[in-house]
Amino acid sequence: MIKVFIAGGLVAIAIILAFIQKIGIVKDLSFGAVRSFIQLIAVGYIIQFVFDLKGVLYQSLLLFIMVLIASYTSRGRAKKSPHAFLLSLISIFTGTFITLGVMLLMRIITTEPKFLIPLGGMIIGNTMNAVSIFLERFYNEFKERKNLIEVFLSLGASPREASKELVKKSVKTAMIPITNIMKIVGIIQLPGAMTGMILAGASPLEAAKIQIIVIYMLSASVAIAISLLALISYRFYFTPSAALRL
Amino acid sequence: MILYKLSSVTKIKSGKKILDNISCEIDKGKIFVIMGPSGSGKTTLLRLLNRLEDPSEGEMFFNGEDIKKIDVRELRKKVAMVFQIPLLFGEKAVDNILYPAKLYKIEVNPEEVIELVGLKRDILNQKIDSVSVGQAQRIAIARSLVLNPDVLLLDEPTSALDFSSKIEIENLIKDLNKNLGISIIFVTHDLEQAKRMGDRAVLIVEGKKIEEGSIPEMFENPRSSELKKFLKGELK
Repeated sequence: MIKVFIAGGLVAIAIILAFIQKIGIVKDLSFGAVRSFIQLIAVGYIIQFVFDLKGVLYQSLLLFIMVLIASYTSRGRAKKSPHAFLLSLISIFTGTFITLGVMLLMRIITTEPKFLIPLGGMIIGNTMNAVSIFLERFYNEFKERKNLIEVFLSLGASPREASKELVKKSVKTAMIPITNIMKIVGIIQLPGAMTGMILAGASPLEAAKIQIIVIYMLSASVAIAISLLALISYRFYFTPSAALRL
Repeated sequence: MILYKLSSVTKIKSGKKILDNISCEIDKGKIFVIMGPSGSGKTTLLRLLNRLEDPSEGEMFFNGEDIKKIDVRELRKKVAMVFQIPLLFGEKAVDNILYPAKLYKIEVNPEEVIELVGLKRDILNQKIDSVSVGQAQRIAIARSLVLNPDVLLLDEPTSALDFSSKIEIENLIKDLNKNLGISIIFVTHDLEQAKRMGDRAVLIVEGKKIEEGSIPEMFENPRSSELKKFLKGELK
């Protein structure tokens, strides 16, 4: 705990400097310091509680609750997109389930809470971001290019053919964050998991190996979720007789 | 021969009746004009004909067959549509001609199709943003002809054009009807255009069918007060 207070002392110095120089960030910095302290201690307790839940069933339930919350958050971002919650739920669940499932089956990870919960959380969070970007982008593109889509339909295109370009664009946009992470990982910044492992005493090579697994898991889950959305999301924009619903 | 038969067709959108109990018949091989003031439901009526929208109530028949039982892709192959604003896609004009052919996996000669609408072959390789609105509308008409449709639906296709381009497009549409035997269903709020173009017409006001008949009959002996008002330009 002393180490924490020493680090806190550095923040206090920063606050004093800000106060002397009147740069107007004293309030934000003070609140931020207190808030992060409370939040992280609380999260520490929660994770400790979760780690004590040894049963796979409890962990699965907790992961499912996380998927529900992520779907709700994604719906909040892509509010106007039709059936945003349902689409988020299906895609985030499938991406997470398949990725974690394969990792477990291949014995790359075990069902220990120290693996399942943090990795699950990272996967769900990253997949949620990609899903909400896809849903929002697709809705906006669709709304903007509604008349053109109707031209395609009137020429005999199926809903899939008529929305092909928009789906492609939305997939590309949704994949940008994860592909960017893959591009810069280890060059511009060391990812959190790797830094954490090195700080906890693991060898840099071991930490790198785990980080590679994490990155691959994240990108796999995102790719699965987005591919699924590309297959199903456009259908909600059309009637069974291939007319626009919007 | 009857092309379309509409029986008590009603369309409700967001709780509002856009079309109210419309019944009418449209003959094959003719130019049929749907006329009426702005916001009267003309475009919605046109859109029902190739199922870009479906009626909330009532029945529709195409060539004697319940329209809902016809595969929508087959229906749209036979019933082409030209919109008010000519939206082109792709990079060059030719992309617009090739698209429907690709969809239906048929061979097409773009030069032949483009000449049908009175444009020169070299426009095919022109970028879509470099063509005029009049040329764009002709390309849009050419695009709709690729599949050899039986019917051409036109939603105020000349409203964005100047007078001379307007007359040219009108003549083109009349030629397509006369030379290729394509049935034309044409939406307009322009009285003079209806007179110049049509064989028969229906007047729609506030979603209701007011009067239907041959163009000379309707223009020379209007029966309803609404048609009289529309002819005097009092309904806009």
